[in-house]
Amino acid sequence: MKHPTEGALDDVNVMVAGQGGDGSLTIITLLGNLLGARGFHLYTSRNVASRIKGAHAAGMLRGSVVPRGCIGDHLDILIAFDSEAIEVAGERLAPNAVVIFDSSLGEADRSRMPPGVRVIGIPFGRLAVRDLRRDLFKNSLSFGVLTRVLGIGDDEAVGCLEQRFRSAPAAMREANILAARMGFDYAESQGLRPGHGHWQLAPVTHDRRLLISGNEALAFGFLAAGGRFFAGYPITPATDVMEWLSERLPAFGGAVIQAEDELAAINMALGAALAGARAMTATSGPGLALMMEGISQSGSAEIPLVIVDCQRAGPSTGMPTKPEQSDIGMIVYGGNGDLPRVVLAPGDPVDCFELSATAVNLAQRLQCPVFLMLDQSVAQDSATVPPFDLDRIKTDPGKRLSADELAGMAEYRRYLITDDGISPWAVPGTPGGMNLVTGNERDEWGHVTTKPDIRTRMTEKRMRKIALATDLLPSGRRWGDPHARIGLLGVGMQLGVMREAAERLSRAGHAVECLQPRTIWPVPAETVDFIRSHERTYVIEHNAGAQLAHLLRGAGAPPEKMRSILRYDGRPFRPVELVNAVLDGESAQ
Amino acid sequence: MTKTFTPRQPIWCAGCGHFGVQAALVDALRALEIPPHETLIIAGIGCSGTIQNNIGAYGYHAIHGRVLPTAIGAVVANPGLTVIASGGDGDGYAIGLGHLIHTFRRNPSLLYVVMNNGIYGLTKGQPSPTSEPEVDSSEQPLDAVHLGLTIPSSTFIARGFVGKPVQLGRLMREALVHVRERRGFAFLEVMSPCVTYNDSYSRWDSLVIDLDEDTTHDASDWIGSAARYARLIADGRIPTGLIYRGTARTYEAALGLDPRKPMALQDPAPGPRRRELEALLEPYYR
Repeated sequence: MKHPTEGALDDVNVMVAGQGGDGSLTIITLLGNLLGARGFHLYTSRNVASRIKGAHAAGMLRGSVVPRGCIGDHLDILIAFDSEAIEVAGERLAPNAVVIFDSSLGEADRSRMPPGVRVIGIPFGRLAVRDLRRDLFKNSLSFGVLTRVLGIGDDEAVGCLEQRFRSAPAAMREANILAARMGFDYAESQGLRPGHGHWQLAPVTHDRRLLISGNEALAFGFLAAGGRFFAGYPITPATDVMEWLSERLPAFGGAVIQAEDELAAINMALGAALAGARAMTATSGPGLALMMEGISQSGSAEIPLVIVDCQRAGPSTGMPTKPEQSDIGMIVYGGNGDLPRVVLAPGDPVDCFELSATAVNLAQRLQCPVFLMLDQSVAQDSATVPPFDLDRIKTDPGKRLSADELAGMAEYRRYLITDDGISPWAVPGTPGGMNLVTGNERDEWGHVTTKPDIRTRMTEKRMRKIALATDLLPSGRRWGDPHARIGLLGVGMQLGVMREAAERLSRAGHAVECLQPRTIWPVPAETVDFIRSHERTYVIEHNAGAQLAHLLRGAGAPPEKMRSILRYDGRPFRPVELVNAVLDGESAQ
Repeated sequence: MTKTFTPRQPIWCAGCGHFGVQAALVDALRALEIPPHETLIIAGIGCSGTIQNNIGAYGYHAIHGRVLPTAIGAVVANPGLTVIASGGDGDGYAIGLGHLIHTFRRNPSLLYVVMNNGIYGLTKGQPSPTSEPEVDSSEQPLDAVHLGLTIPSSTFIARGFVGKPVQLGRLMREALVHVRERRGFAFLEVMSPCVTYNDSYSRWDSLVIDLDEDTTHDASDWIGSAARYARLIADGRIPTGLIYRGTARTYEAALGLDPRKPMALQDPAPGPRRRELEALLEPYYR
């Protein structure tokens, strides 16, 4: 992929690592702005501990000429603010990588790197404090070195800093630029002249793109589809959704409530939805466990509600900042009793935007809980994507009754048994529509009952809503060789890795076809058909129990055609790891 | 007119205090001419959690302990509604107590009527957080009125007793006026005996003391009210009446809601707000 001798780098992976609070993410942002302006596709990820400051923290960025949905196999550049950064990232360095190391604290440990790595040691911290009186200026200093390594001209690098600090005080802006110039000088002394770096970046054409995280795209989709009420309780990695909406919903006449706990959050959302607002809550595994009674209520009382689960490594508190896909069982089966529900799983920011809007509409249409199942990677990693198309957002009012419609009706029963299982709905405030909404079993009028025949018909009515909704549910993304014997199947964070692994497997002579199901529950026929139509399908999951494979098996997918590839160490797959896992599986046949 | 559900007869035992609470609520809604379609009664779990079935307004049966978060969600979504949360002492003070404290803190314009009978009736006689030593001596009883007085943003705290129906009717009307005038959270605890498991009519009748009748009680004085209240409960009395009424910013005001444009009744289509939506994406372009 790389052609250093030809001077054209078309796929570059950079990690900036140090202690939390070092500003690693700032350099990633600066480099992202710079590469983005050139037209590179971007993918960024962060690796942080669950604490405000300190402990190892890293930002990662991949810039590529073709779009990529994950961080690549190897790091081309590591900016290391401490020796722990080298310990952690050393094994991921490319054979010809460049390490820019803060030598204020000693020399870099070369034993942890491949032999061909070029190390540029600079006492960033010491220089920043000595000459600029502030440790944080080491970021702009190292950015200066980084841009020289990548063969980027000094003016372009300075322009990027000016843009980044355009609304900062002039003294701060100038100090950062001065720091970058110190970086240029140091790089010069290492033989890295402006525009003639260790590498040259490949030329790219520039399209207008968004660099956005899944959580942000999801929150935007909710707002665009008329979402107006959000209640939540802070929890990593879902808090971004609440933060994003709290700054923007009020201008649209909506509101965000930070509840006292998840029990309150979901019941506030139920109350708002009952009153007729399009409502959502977002949480992660531990919070979802607390919300289960409310989800059951949404299904029983037939109240439209969107629930976001940004999954993190469990069980219990688990690893709050690490991705996993181990809530699948809880999302699909959780809550007491038989309840209707839909589960959608976005795999990138475009999906997050579109499926979030879809979820809002489905909830209105079906009057039941609709889940958006993310994982920490989908939720918090950012990627460049084409601009969101607001024309694709349609708002489905569902069977909501107006006062005029009610006036024309002889009688109104909130839980009227209908062919599609969906009852017309009058929200409080509508003249003539008074009704009783309850999580108890009830008759069509909303009166509590335990009569066996009514109970049976009401249960069937609720379940019928989902059985008849299959046409409304988002289909999966299917690509690759339709005649391949081998299938790859994964949801959420597996999308980008699966794409890249499939490309390489095809090039290596292993034809594969891929499916990223976007509706998890009810299991669409296309998912089961995909498995049936291949000799072997590798089901790729981030959990130890093969939860997705079990779900598919329950839906009729033949178990002898499924092979699980599982991971639960808190790290996403790299493309090479997935390729090797598939090749290992194939050689075991 | 469209036929809607027929209100039910209460499920309560003959002599249950809750009949008196329901009568006071129905009278107050009628006296203040609050239309049923603008009224949303959110009830909890327990004997008291069936009151919404008997009235003819919009009704919602919440899950156990969560009437207040539900009511907050409803009032934020549509501040034009008169939202009445109701439940018992088990629902409100055991499983749901955390929410009461935060509702005092937020001061949303809704009425919360707690039917306090000092017992779990529906599950047949287990002690509740307000059980007196006669019922359960292993734990001390909770006084939610006293708790409310500790929170500076409380704006309406009252206690009634079904044995004093005239006072109860007056308190119910005043509480609803507080809510209708958007002055915040009206908390009305009603001592409502369970004839079957805690027949406390005569005991409570001998302990209640009506602060409304006391000309030295200034219900607008937060510190004075709290001091007076503490003195009376230390003496073993059950203070009733309007204990405290103050002013504080409502939750709707804090959230910047416009009651004339409730979010629940907005057109959800993106079209009219398209330019504003697109502007939100500007910072993300690369």
